Amino acid sequence: MEHRSRFKARGLEVVFLLPTMLILILFLYYPAWQSIILSLFRSNLFLGTRKFIGFENFRNLFSGALAPAYYQSLLQTLIFSVMVIVPGLLISLVLANLSISLGKRGKIYQILLIWPYALSPAVAGTIFSFLFNPEVGAVNTLLGAFSNLQPRWLDNPILAFLLVVTACIWKNLGYNYVFYLAALQNVPRNVYEAADIDGAGVVRSFFKITVPLVGPVTYFLIFTNLSYSFFEAFALIDLLTLGGPMGFLPFDNTGVTTLLIYKIFQDGFGGSSNMGFASAQSVLLMGIIGLITWFQFKFADKNVHYGGE
Amino acid sequence: MKRISIMLIIMSFAAVLFASGQNEKVQNNEKNIEPVEIQFWHAFTDDARSGWINDLAIEWNSTHPNFKIVAESKGSYRETLQAAILGSRQGVAPHLVQVFEVGSQLALDSGIFTPIGDVGNVDLSDYIEPVLNYYTFNNSVYSIPFNSSSPILYTNKNMMIKAGLDPNSPPETFEEILNACETAKAAGIPEAGLGFNIHGWFFEQWLAEQGEPIVNNGNGRNGRATETMLTSKASITTLNFIKELNDNGFYKSTGKLEDWGGSDAIFQEGKVMFHITSTADLGNISNAIDSRFDMGTGRLPIPGTSKRNGVVIGGASVWLTSGHPKTEQEAARDFILFMTNTKNMNSWHKLTGYYPVRKSSVEELEKEGWFKAAPTRTIAFTQLLETVSNQATAGGVMGTFGDTRTIVEQAIQKVLNGADVKDSLTEAKKLADLKLEEYNKNFK
Repeated sequence: MEHRSRFKARGLEVVFLLPTMLILILFLYYPAWQSIILSLFRSNLFLGTRKFIGFENFRNLFSGALAPAYYQSLLQTLIFSVMVIVPGLLISLVLANLSISLGKRGKIYQILLIWPYALSPAVAGTIFSFLFNPEVGAVNTLLGAFSNLQPRWLDNPILAFLLVVTACIWKNLGYNYVFYLAALQNVPRNVYEAADIDGAGVVRSFFKITVPLVGPVTYFLIFTNLSYSFFEAFALIDLLTLGGPMGFLPFDNTGVTTLLIYKIFQDGFGGSSNMGFASAQSVLLMGIIGLITWFQFKFADKNVHYGGE
Repeated sequence: MKRISIMLIIMSFAAVLFASGQNEKVQNNEKNIEPVEIQFWHAFTDDARSGWINDLAIEWNSTHPNFKIVAESKGSYRETLQAAILGSRQGVAPHLVQVFEVGSQLALDSGIFTPIGDVGNVDLSDYIEPVLNYYTFNNSVYSIPFNSSSPILYTNKNMMIKAGLDPNSPPETFEEILNACETAKAAGIPEAGLGFNIHGWFFEQWLAEQGEPIVNNGNGRNGRATETMLTSKASITTLNFIKELNDNGFYKSTGKLEDWGGSDAIFQEGKVMFHITSTADLGNISNAIDSRFDMGTGRLPIPGTSKRNGVVIGGASVWLTSGHPKTEQEAARDFILFMTNTKNMNSWHKLTGYYPVRKSSVEELEKEGWFKAAPTRTIAFTQLLETVSNQATAGGVMGTFGDTRTIVEQAIQKVLNGADVKDSLTEAKKLADLKLEEYNKNFK
């Protein structure tokens, strides 16, 4: 509490907050509020029509012919997030650990590992679509040179899903890696030396020392990766699969890579272009993210150790 | 997010253009030197086709010092129409917009366009009638046909010879395709098969060939369509064919929806014997193949049980927006008439493979002996001339054509994954009808 007196003039903190608040209000709160209002209308973007229909858009999401696709998309998004975040963080942590153990010689690896993050999602998506084109892509050409294996990367539902997951992990690897690298540089080496003397192996020190000590960073990364996998996967999906392919039962109501964010786009800009229907989905997506964030803060209070005090 | 941000960029860009356009108008009045810009938005992203338009714009501008045609590519057909409508709501509409046939109902309903045939006295008698009819609504010609095409069969003649097939008589029916693939497979050709990208357009063409509409109310031309015909006999026959191809390992595609380039690549690389795509790609594909193999063409294969009814004479046309001064509208109209004149339509056809949309162009090409010199190109004309003019071949109109296409494409994908044909189509119809109903409610 005593920190308050740092600002001499009263209200100065408000002045400093103002630019941020203005941007938030203009680009976040106001559009969010507009989405909530719009979700109660049938509003065709291109015809410019607007008619109040109460909660019909929400009803259509949960019952009737359009509901199965929404449920499928919701489930897929959750599976997708887990599959992107867990291996993504684990791989980055292992790589950060390995490259830091090389000392100065690890520099080149650091640069190479951070590289993918410098690419825009659009470029990353284009690279993957060139690599994995089933007929003329580099991967299948290479496979064809010494085997008969020609996987249908883009039209087999399981492969397509995994491909988008992989692309998504790869794209964000550099980001996660940088944070872990920084965190690991702050872990005192003598802790490892002590463990070494006590006879702990590499694997044991990794799980007993590294993982707990980078806990706060992991906590932060889970949150940022969650919003990454919920929102930023859009460009990769748009370039790789366009939301397809249709899955096997019971995943055959929409494309297996039609995540919530992509479905909003499809429904809003598609033929019937009911922006209200798309807005209703945005509102729910906002709710989901809000709920997860709330859980995370609750969980973090109990289980993340920041050390220090 | 990508599309949305692109849209935002386009809109802000358009706003800047609008502002600068305003300035120019002022200057024009004062100094009378700056020409008025006429914006033309189109959907060609390749150098060949957009370059052709740019060249003509430069040519036209040089003889019309008061105006300046600015042609710009706005992405896909869907995106171009969407950008135009949204731009128009912001008061920054382009003058001319290239709209694909599927967007016709939406373009009409959006109310941003004015019938080009009603701007002054326009003589449209030279335009090929069935093509012009597509764009005639409520007795007004709304747009000038520009790039019309239909799907045809492309063949790899070298492969056909290797398989012991006659390269000069390409398969004409679904059954003949399957037989030819069997023969080639037996001859040890692993590339035996037919490739086409998963696209609703082919499905629509196959319905038309069987003389069936895709929506009710006279294919949406007697009144607003309220129901799709996705469970009709023709629909089932079409999807059964795709299923049979796929079950026998004869269907080739990248698996991605609407992947034109991907499918073309498969054929160009010599990885499939037969290929179906638009006549519009004749130029680009034969250039890409170069001399790697001998390419042949044939009519679009249809079910053997059906009479050949013809293809949908669609493609895209150029629409004129309302809300611009009359002089600018007239200038815009004049440019389009110039762009589609006899001479230009001939060069357009030779460059791309699109039909020349004028009768005089066809006559001139015949006189030149073009069809003898370029035999692969004749097939497109045969298909067009054979087409029976009726509501099936006039093409369906519905406000949610874009959605219906996607839904059909998803049904095809489901079938490729092993789903039942009838179940998939029933489900598709339910969804497409619901979307159509949703759209139509905007007018109640």
